[in-house]
Amino acid sequence: MSQFTEYKDLIQEGDIALIWISRGNIKAVTIDSKETFNTRYGSFQHSDMIGKPYGSQIAIRTRGTGRFAFIHVLQPTPELWTLSLPHRTQIVYTPDSSYIMQRMNCSPHTRVIEAGTGSGSFSHAFARTVQQLYTYEFHPVRYEQAKEEFKKHGILDENVIITHRDVCEDGFTIKPTDTTSAQFSEEEITSGMKQLNATAVFLDLPAPWDAIHHLDKVIATDEQVHVCCFSPCIEQVDKTIESLENNGWTQIEMVEIQGRQYESRRQMVRSMEDAMQRCRDIKRRKKEGIEKKQSLIEREENNNTTSTNTEHTQREPFTEKAKFNPFGKGIRVKEGDPGYKWKQVTKIESEIKSHTSYLTFAIKLVDKTRNETLVQECLNETK
Amino acid sequence: MDSSKLDPLKQIALDQFVIITLPSEKCKIVELKGNTSVSLGKFGAFHVNDIVGYPLGTKFEIYYDSETVETIGGDEPVKPNKKNKITKVNIGKVRIVEKDTKRDDGLDNVGNSHNNKELINLGSDIQKMTSDDIEALKKQSTSANEIISKIIESHGTFDKKTLFSQEKYLKRKKQKFDKQFVVNYLSANLLLQYLIDKNDIQRIMDMSEESIGMLLNLANIRPNGTYLCMDETGGLLIYFLLERMFGGDDTTGATGKIVVVHENEHPNFDLLKYSNYSEKFIAEHVIPISILEYFEPRTVEEVELDFKPLSREEVSELKSGAKNTYFRKLKWHKIHLQAIDVATKWVYDGLVVATTLHLPTLLPQLGKRVHGSRPIVCYSQFKEVLLELSHTLYDDLNYLAPTIIETKCRPYQSIRGRIHPLMTMKGGGGYLLWCHKVIPAPEPELIPTESVPNNDKGDTVEK
Ligand SMILES: C[S@@+](CC[C@H](N)C(=O)[O-])C[C@H]1O[C@@H](n2cnc3c(N)ncnc32)[C@H](O)[C@@H]1O
Repeated sequence: MSQFTEYKDLIQEGDIALIWISRGNIKAVTIDSKETFNTRYGSFQHSDMIGKPYGSQIAIRTRGTGRFAFIHVLQPTPELWTLSLPHRTQIVYTPDSSYIMQRMNCSPHTRVIEAGTGSGSFSHAFARTVQQLYTYEFHPVRYEQAKEEFKKHGILDENVIITHRDVCEDGFTIKPTDTTSAQFSEEEITSGMKQLNATAVFLDLPAPWDAIHHLDKVIATDEQVHVCCFSPCIEQVDKTIESLENNGWTQIEMVEIQGRQYESRRQMVRSMEDAMQRCRDIKRRKKEGIEKKQSLIEREENNNTTSTNTEHTQREPFTEKAKFNPFGKGIRVKEGDPGYKWKQVTKIESEIKSHTSYLTFAIKLVDKTRNETLVQECLNETK
Repeated sequence: MDSSKLDPLKQIALDQFVIITLPSEKCKIVELKGNTSVSLGKFGAFHVNDIVGYPLGTKFEIYYDSETVETIGGDEPVKPNKKNKITKVNIGKVRIVEKDTKRDDGLDNVGNSHNNKELINLGSDIQKMTSDDIEALKKQSTSANEIISKIIESHGTFDKKTLFSQEKYLKRKKQKFDKQFVVNYLSANLLLQYLIDKNDIQRIMDMSEESIGMLLNLANIRPNGTYLCMDETGGLLIYFLLERMFGGDDTTGATGKIVVVHENEHPNFDLLKYSNYSEKFIAEHVIPISILEYFEPRTVEEVELDFKPLSREEVSELKSGAKNTYFRKLKWHKIHLQAIDVATKWVYDGLVVATTLHLPTLLPQLGKRVHGSRPIVCYSQFKEVLLELSHTLYDDLNYLAPTIIETKCRPYQSIRGRIHPLMTMKGGGGYLLWCHKVIPAPEPELIPTESVPNNDKGDTVEK
């Protein structure tokens, strides 16, 4: 059973859980009743989490200050994993991966080839949906790390096969002699290779054009096959298109995805009338201040006894009290303070991912024949 | 899978809806019936039997020879003022287009030049063929390429055009005379594309493929989940969910269910008729329930007041007519009982909403039966609507980190050496709000149970 493919109700010993501290701070932990999850706000005992439903908030009083601190314990999903995983390489984020999956019509009937595996961000999203994922990585350490991770997440036993391979040099066929997580059936051992029949291909490599010609050996021939090449530079796209054309891929189209996130914020509603009223008020107080001062001076002149000190303490509270302050000037106003009027607004992230990569899509249909006897049978049925 | 049958996910099959792309890049949805023919208007017509069994995605070309005399009423309305007004379309034969004509095919045999200095006028006087000549050619000719070659031959200054304008010219002519068409599987993607091209934007709430793709991923839609959904797009969103969960047919054996809360007496799933799922399959996996039934469910007692199931002996004594009525009523009775469970017992693995109802009041209600840690994704055509919702959810401790998301696909002209973003693209596409259902903790007591920080192992300590 996989943490990534089953819906779990309760947090249990041995589970991989994601601890949500804040938006940009999500940590994967293996639940162990003897362990503690430490944050700068305090320590959270795993034993307090065990037995609670996923999604539970766990709260503590921080030592010392005694303030309320909390975390949320979530069950991993591929999208949350993408936000929390250890980066071994550049990764594909959800706006790109979700579009690629949709455009290639990924479903439980899809068999996907992915190279390279990299940090496994996209692999998790594919694995959730497709029938079978064949993923390839030529970097030996990354291959091992990804393999371990997929195993830990339970997807290696379900529908993921990872193979250590330079796909540009050696293509995609998986043989019993390869370094791979694949298991081989009797039949496959006899035939010397796995029958991949891939219906979708995703290439996130520096030189996809060197891998494209190897695909013919491993893609399905009796149905349409989708490919997507993911490259940051336009020069790569150009070479990719050339290779796709030369290898019989059609409907070539390159697109770019722009994902945006907005923060929900509030802006104070400050009316023109209030602004004017405030001006009037300042003016009035200034005038009153002058008058007051004048009268004080006059009084001073009349009975030369008052000290400068008392003069000040008398004057200051007077001006403060009368202040008309509709916008909270000079005080700290929290956004949304119910004492003021607010307008809801959105604010775009302060740093935007303005370019991830270009996505070059194409389609190939290898065998354009039909089974005449089968067709005849079908047609006879309708008569 | 039964290999003695055509697989409607792979091959062009009978009684299946397919989407046909015409040379003009317009699309047409057709239900394929054996022994009938399909008219593509000015592009010609073909016999369904001639295309059945070929793989979906195959490109065909209509051609005519001396044997083809049958006609079919042209249903593609063509501008009436044109003289090529079509009332009857000849049914042609089809052949497979083996190689998808590359962009510069046809240019190879025409001398091309890189300067257009000598070109003053590209008007019709340069073209020596009259439009009547071309019409005559169209009637007798076999392929668009041939027509175009003839036109080019007779085009006095074709080779004086720049490569670029030559290509533009060819593309225009090709679209006009081409009789090639592609038969595609009618996926939710292509159905959406079709509705967008038809300008049915309001009907589908201005959704884009990229927004739906992102919604499906963020909502973590899986084959085995139970999802709560509202869909105001006539079933399109449900079609997307079904494809993601089951892959377009009934064969995976996955157990997922979609509960669809709707506002009317009957749900509107019109667009599902284009899918390949059997009615039985849809009834099993898509469970409609009205918003009233969902929020004010009847009690089991109330339902049983209306109808009491009979004992086995009582049923066997019924006459056949009465028996039929009884079983129909029994079926409804079961549906009513299930509705109570759906509203009061089921716990959901995700909430996916595309509705124009007021979200700040609706969503916290719908969210109640969503399991902790499960995603909630709400689609809206307008950002402001989601903004209001996000403020509401932000103040509600049952929802974690509501985020407003926009995703936009920018298409490029994808020709080598001339790659650039297209000059125009569709606006709109909508916005998503994504959050997770969570379970707030009670305020902890002031003195915490003594925690022994375990520093020698594992968890990241924040600085
Ligand atoms: C950018 S990363 C892929 C990231 C991945 N898509 C993800 O979402 O985590 C590219 C990976 O491809 C691997 N790679 C590069 N060339 C390769 C080749 N010829 N065969 C196999 N893997 C290759 C690199 O080692 C690297 O790990």
